[in-house]
Formats: sequence, structure tokens, C-alpha cells
Amino acid sequence: MDSGKRKEKLREMFSKVVDPLGYKFSPDTELVDFLLEQEVKIEKEKGSPFCPCQGLTGDRESDMKLVCPCIPFHREHYDAMKRCWCGLYVHKDVEDPDSLMQISLQEFLESKNKECLSWE
Amino acid sequence: MKKVVIYTLSTCPWCMRAKKFFREHDIPFESIEYDKADDDTKKAIKDDCLAHNSEMSFPFVKIDDDVVVGYNPTKYLKLLES
Repeated sequence: MDSGKRKEKLREMFSKVVDPLGYKFSPDTELVDFLLEQEVKIEKEKGSPFCPCQGLTGDRESDMKLVCPCIPFHREHYDAMKRCWCGLYVHKDVEDPDSLMQISLQEFLESKNKECLSWE
Repeated sequence: MKKVVIYTLSTCPWCMRAKKFFREHDIPFESIEYDKADDDTKKAIKDDCLAHNSEMSFPFVKIDDDVVVGYNPTKYLKLLES
């Protein structure tokens, strides 16, 4: 399958997976096209469409958690950002994806711990 | 001037934006593409990233001894000015 067709196939497949999770493709269509093109390249090279913005470690179990759409493995973190790490998907209610910042996992966990402490 | 090192992925648009930010602010930086690096460099980057974060998320920006994981111009500026 040529790259353009594969890109459209991924778009169709991913759309069905993320919809019930409360996510949609980012309204930034240029970003979405670019990321899907990168995923097609990564899939050709590595065998799966891994996230273009997260590095593989060589540990199969953790690497498989980065196959797009990786939302289920990072649900709390991504819900807090209202987007996935690479920004391919955003929460369904998001209209301005530029307003959403990347929050590192470490920062997310620290803020979550603070919240837990304040409830105690 | 603070030393800036950016670990990136060749496939990551946020890494490209981070590099663009430093270029536009005339701040010299060194950047290394994790996915295109040789095995030894890859291991060094991986160790560095995992020492700060439990995941390998990019861009990974080091400003002297401080680290910003992700594209965050506000944080870059704050660290550069501190």
C-alpha cells in the first residue's frame, strides 16, 4: 500500500478507536497530516505506528504502550492536558489546540500528589 | 550564557518548534536526534531522559542543569532569564 493510502487508512482506523475514548483528531489539520505521515514512516521502519514524539527504549512492553493511539496507556496524564503527547488527538470539546500545553509526566504526577495531599 | 542542549526526534513537530524558538531568540544550542543517533549516543540520551522522567518524551530541553520536557516557550524563557 502506498504511503498516502496508508495514511488515510490509519486516519480512518484511529478515528474509530479514539471516538469512544472522548477524543478527536486535532482541529490543526496541518499538524494531523504531518503526524500521520510520520507514523506511516515509523510503521514502515519499526513495524508499528509508534508515537512520533516519544522515544522507543527497546523494552517491548513499554514500547508497545506508545503505539498510536496510545491514549489508553496514558489516560490520566492525557486527560489532564486535554490532548495526547504529540497533539494528534485532543478532547472532543477542544476547539483551540494551541491553547493546550504539553505537561511532562513528572509535573503531572507532582500536581496529582499535591492534590491528593490537599484532600487529606 | 546558559548552555542549551535539546534532545529531539526527527519525526516530532514539537521538537522542530523548540529548535525554531531558540533559533529565533538567537540562543545557541546543541541538538541531538535520538532516533538517528548511534547506539552509544542513544544509550546516553536514554539514561539522561530516564533520570529526569519515567518516560522518553520529546523535546527534552536542558538549560544548564534544568530540564524542560515538552515544548514550553514560557518555561524556556523563564529559565534563560533566571
